[in-house]
Amino acid sequence: MRIGLEIHVALPTRSKLFCSCRTDASEPNTAICPTCTGMPGSKPTLNRNALAISVSIANALKCRVPESTSFARKVYFYPDLPKNFQITQKDEPVGAAGEITIESGKRIGIRRVQLEEDPAKVIRQDDYTLIDFNRSGVPLVEIVTEPEIGNEEELRMFITELKSILYYLGIDIDRELKVDLNISVSGSRVEVKNVTGMKNLLDAARYEVQRQEKLVKAKQGVVQETRSYVEKDMKTAPSREKESDEEYGFIFDPDLASYKTTGIRIAKPVYASKIAKEYSKRYGVKDSALRELIMFNSGNLALIDSAKDRHGMKALITAVELLQRYASKKADPSVFERVVEIVEKGAYPDKEMMLRIEAGKSVEVHAGASDEEIDNEIKRLIGENSKLLKELGKNPKAFNFVVGAVIKKYKSNPRAVSERLERILKELE
Amino acid sequence: MSSITEFLEKEKPSGYTGKMLKELSKLNEELNAFNNIADSLGSGMPFSVKDNICVKGIETTASSRMLEGYIPAFNATVVQRMLDSGFSFIGKTNMDEFGFGSFGLNSTKPARNPFDVRYVAGGSSSGAAVATSILKYHVAIAESTGGSISTPAAFCGVVGFTPTYGALSRYGLIDYANSLDKIGIMARHADDVRSVFDKVRGADAKDTTSIEGEYRREVSKKIILPDQLTKGIDEDVESGFARLVEKLEGMGYKTVHRSIPFIDKAIPAYYTIAMAEASTNLARYSGFKYGYRNEDFTQHYNQFFTNARERFGLEAKRRIVLGTFVRSASVRDEYYSKALKVRRLLIKELGKALQDGFILSPVMPIKVPTFEEVKELTALENYKMDVMTIPPNLCGLPHVSFPYAYHKGMPLAAQLVAGHWGDHAVLGIVEEWERHFDYKFKYNIGEL
Ligand SMILES: [Zn+2]
Repeated sequence: MRIGLEIHVALPTRSKLFCSCRTDASEPNTAICPTCTGMPGSKPTLNRNALAISVSIANALKCRVPESTSFARKVYFYPDLPKNFQITQKDEPVGAAGEITIESGKRIGIRRVQLEEDPAKVIRQDDYTLIDFNRSGVPLVEIVTEPEIGNEEELRMFITELKSILYYLGIDIDRELKVDLNISVSGSRVEVKNVTGMKNLLDAARYEVQRQEKLVKAKQGVVQETRSYVEKDMKTAPSREKESDEEYGFIFDPDLASYKTTGIRIAKPVYASKIAKEYSKRYGVKDSALRELIMFNSGNLALIDSAKDRHGMKALITAVELLQRYASKKADPSVFERVVEIVEKGAYPDKEMMLRIEAGKSVEVHAGASDEEIDNEIKRLIGENSKLLKELGKNPKAFNFVVGAVIKKYKSNPRAVSERLERILKELE
Repeated sequence: MSSITEFLEKEKPSGYTGKMLKELSKLNEELNAFNNIADSLGSGMPFSVKDNICVKGIETTASSRMLEGYIPAFNATVVQRMLDSGFSFIGKTNMDEFGFGSFGLNSTKPARNPFDVRYVAGGSSSGAAVATSILKYHVAIAESTGGSISTPAAFCGVVGFTPTYGALSRYGLIDYANSLDKIGIMARHADDVRSVFDKVRGADAKDTTSIEGEYRREVSKKIILPDQLTKGIDEDVESGFARLVEKLEGMGYKTVHRSIPFIDKAIPAYYTIAMAEASTNLARYSGFKYGYRNEDFTQHYNQFFTNARERFGLEAKRRIVLGTFVRSASVRDEYYSKALKVRRLLIKELGKALQDGFILSPVMPIKVPTFEEVKELTALENYKMDVMTIPPNLCGLPHVSFPYAYHKGMPLAAQLVAGHWGDHAVLGIVEEWERHFDYKFKYNIGEL
């Protein structure tokens, strides 16, 4: 099975791609001008910030960025396009031939990254349709992957990885994630257009894969076609095909120039999952614990990086977790430092203690129980109750009961207790 | 003295503008120079605006029924700069629909030649040329894509100037073919053209392709005659042109005959690019946001568009169909991309030729034709008439069309082309020529 994606990402610029209208207006049709409504006589002028962000994305996705980039007109007739052509990129997109490495280590190719304008928003009612031009001309980046995603799990990993890379560039794709999916189980390619949001994306992919697999199994063959996702039924259905590539009739947009990409300030990419992997190897901590903290939190990553030469990684992770759970505001480095020191003494602060630390008040630190004490307590609990031992391997409730009891007694770090318990269970096997 | 200064300095009798506008409206009924005329006029030198250039609050239709009722919410940069320089807006001038035509006939009310109404005014800036030919004090803001200034100026006996591509902002111009469209100026004297040009040119943040050029003002004495273009032209045009060349030689100009590689490919390359771009520009007139509003919403989607686009004139439809074809994916390389290559080559070749001289040719291979004669032409014959105006337009080179003689009462005109940014230089030659030439006009509305 091969899945390819075309992902549309709205860029966080204050103004639109080819005019100075705001991008954050909520009252419909209030952020519009001659250019973004396509008034005869108007002309586009490029938003340089949007260009810089799109180049930064291409760079972060390890694309080849050409020396100069240009725009093209893609013609199709649709009410959301006031000019009936979209200004997009064709021959010289901002990026080509890149890749993303997902959690499993597999590389998914990025075919191209292009900068383009968003059409207006079409709001369909029962017997009429409304159009909001506030969205017309909002800068979008379209990311096109190679059809190299092999299953739903890889699809999830890919989106997570992409989201994290974009998050570190200051782009939140949850704000508006729009994806076209290409899925081929047997060789004929089916395109599922305009899927919005992560949940729908996974649901649509799952449905479409199963649909195609069923057809293949029944030897009925899959028709090469364009479908759309019907959210309320959680199904895909055949859709009216818009124009084909033949009919889009791309030409160079002669109102815009060829833009040099040299000299653009490119944002330095951060690959949080790669950092998590490296640290987990180097410091012997769990990759998943680090991923949880840093994939979508640059503050956490900064705290860890600022102290990793002075403290143990385990303590840093625990301290960040504690701050995340209890801190009332963004932690300043001195608070973080105190928490780390306390954790390193073997203690595990509770909420009350965390608030005192945050307020700069003194706290009484008792060294926590040693591993041996914890082991003894676990063994005592298991020894008292033979039923419990049977349950432990398969029932998370039983597992949590034991961990909870130990924490209650020693105020220990839940992670440390879990690890001791897991070790004991392994020994008993 | 320029007529702009003359107009501003002269005492106007009371009721001058009212009388002038009345006279103009009356003559306009016969000649169709204007699509609309202002109700009142300021005290500045009057200027007209071709109807494909936006004037805030004034209906702007590019002489197309598709755009009936379009009232721009903004001024074109050129219009704004004219107003800021103290000129007074007098009206919107007639044209071939969207600029599609060389004779002014692709308009519901074609403009007529002021020398003799049986003759055409030329196109596509037909009204601008007629207005310039009938108003004593006036300058016209016109536009050329492939010859739309040179041709009508030639037929109506006025000076028609098309600047280097990018010299004047296109903001506010209703696009025909954006990489070829150039706003330009018509007037009765070259120094008026120069004076207006210097006020409106220069980079504009609203048009990415506009720039502040590095102008080359020195006037060379070398004139290049491209014989390829003048083969088989009308005899009277040929002999008249030969006399012009002799006179220029008498004025100290040195003439050389030269053949320019690829120049015969200019027409197909031009029409390919122009139509490809035009077909995208006209897409917006679909009855949804712009263009004639088709109110029958029960129709099937494709039927709705077809009906809404019915109001395009025949030539517009032809260009949409051909333009859509040449940019289709399967033939794009054969037509559109190849035409871009030809343009690049020709820019190089003409640039070489124009390094130290000017190209001089007649404007059209024919004398001013009558309406009857033009109606006989097929579309292809029509396109071939642009053989001399297309090369400089395709390559964005500055050029000026000026009358040099009269034949049986109708003007004969020539076209001078300079290298990029030689705008002032070509105007300089025409200014020199004017010292040896008396312009003739049938009307002098607003004379003082
Ligand atoms: Zn806008």
